[in-house]
Amino acid sequence: MTTSVSNSPINQELDRSALRARRLRHRDLALGVATPIVLLLIWQLASSTNLIDAKIFTPPSTIFSTAITLIKNGVLTHDLGITSLRLIVGFVIGGALGIAVGIALGIFRTLRAAFSPLFAALYAVPQIAVLPLLLVIFGIGETPKILTVAAVSFFVLEINAMAGVRSIDPQLLEAGRAYGAKGRRLFWHVLVPGSLPAVFTGLRVAAALALVVVTATEFVAANSGLGYLVWNSWQLFEPNQMYVGLITIALVGVILTGIIELIARKVMPWSRRSSHD
Amino acid sequence: MGEDWLIRASTVTKVFTTNGHGVLALEEVNLDLARGSFTSLIGPSGCGKSTLLRIIGGIETPSQGSVEHAGSARIAFVFQDHALFPWLTVLDNVAFGLKMAGVETGERNRRSQIWIERVGLAGFEKAFPNALSGGMRQRLSIARAFVTEPDILLMDEPMGALDEQTRLLIQEDLLRLWEETRKTVLLVTHSIDEAILLGDRVAVMSRRPGRIKANLDVPLERPRTLHNMTDPRFVALKDAILNDLHDEVMASMESR
Repeated sequence: MTTSVSNSPINQELDRSALRARRLRHRDLALGVATPIVLLLIWQLASSTNLIDAKIFTPPSTIFSTAITLIKNGVLTHDLGITSLRLIVGFVIGGALGIAVGIALGIFRTLRAAFSPLFAALYAVPQIAVLPLLLVIFGIGETPKILTVAAVSFFVLEINAMAGVRSIDPQLLEAGRAYGAKGRRLFWHVLVPGSLPAVFTGLRVAAALALVVVTATEFVAANSGLGYLVWNSWQLFEPNQMYVGLITIALVGVILTGIIELIARKVMPWSRRSSHD
Repeated sequence: MGEDWLIRASTVTKVFTTNGHGVLALEEVNLDLARGSFTSLIGPSGCGKSTLLRIIGGIETPSQGSVEHAGSARIAFVFQDHALFPWLTVLDNVAFGLKMAGVETGERNRRSQIWIERVGLAGFEKAFPNALSGGMRQRLSIARAFVTEPDILLMDEPMGALDEQTRLLIQEDLLRLWEETRKTVLLVTHSIDEAILLGDRVAVMSRRPGRIKANLDVPLERPRTLHNMTDPRFVALKDAILNDLHDEVMASMESR
């Protein structure tokens, strides 16, 4: 009697269970993709058969053709460009400043005592509520819009970066010092990597809030941008354009978060779940 | 004590301030570490043994008294909770001390690799600490200390967070590594077995305020193995230490 290892009942069972696991994964993926497609189809069907008001709930096919028109005549690309510019400039300036200030506040007790309560109080004021004041000071230009985006990014990152530094295990600081990392080297080799996870949490939150703020700003104080496109479509009663604007804003959010996630994986390879056992 | 000391703590006193009132943690402690010797420091919990180790290592300052080094003594630590950098790979964690000391990349990776192999972590160079088991992390933390070629190795309950089997394995590893390298070592531990098995000498501390209550030489030849733990001389010394500690623990219970 020959017993082949690969054909033993145990191995067959192992193969079967691996196959089952793979099948389940594929099924989950398929369900995730299929559900929105089915919902879109139902929407399309319902509005083209007048089950729901097609004037308000524009069928997906019409939204799609409106999007093509808006891209061809340059309206959508122009609005997308200007919104992205406001968003990115504000986010980068405010975010960078927030990280720098937050880390400094995390390190220096005196600075923290002086500024942390003030910043916490200012953060409690919704940034969008300050927009009218900024409009008074700077007039209707790009500056107040970029400043509101920058302000929200600043506060979120300042708070998270400071918390990041403060949450570093004191044992790691001690180990760093014991192995010769002092001053600038302690900063770059222990404080910065140690606070990165909190900084990235801040970046994710700030990106979402910045998108809200830029859209709201464009509702009231702009005649360009995706927020303006949505607002203006309401005033002209053009729901199909409104949908195009909303979907584009959502896409901007997805792409921005995706970029942040990619960078996070690149610079924090250790924080990915390990495949160990 | 011996003349050839490498590091000497003289009348070290430490006062901590908690909630506005001072607590006397150490009172006029004297401890010499002879060059190339292995000293185990044992005492009831809260007696200040870790504080003494940190003061000797220079990461805490004494309130009174002094710590002298014979010449320039390089110090390395092994911490209880490993204190590994989660953002660095196994290789970079081991190489950290060398990097801070300005050793160039090729050289520090070569030297780190040797120690990675010595502690049995070969094949895990690119892994991050969160992918390692508790025992592997502690070996990594030992390699990180040894690779800097310290004159003095300070270990603060390095096996405290490990299960019994892993603890025995690491103790054997440490015995072997120490007998190969003969560093000057101070080991803080709460295990009497560990203190005797590894040490040339066991210093027993009193309850708080901590003082050195007894200095006992370990009468066992080297190289040692885990089997030394059944040696009658081992058992006799263990009994003596147990008596010392028992009095201290009872007294510290009553004073609470």
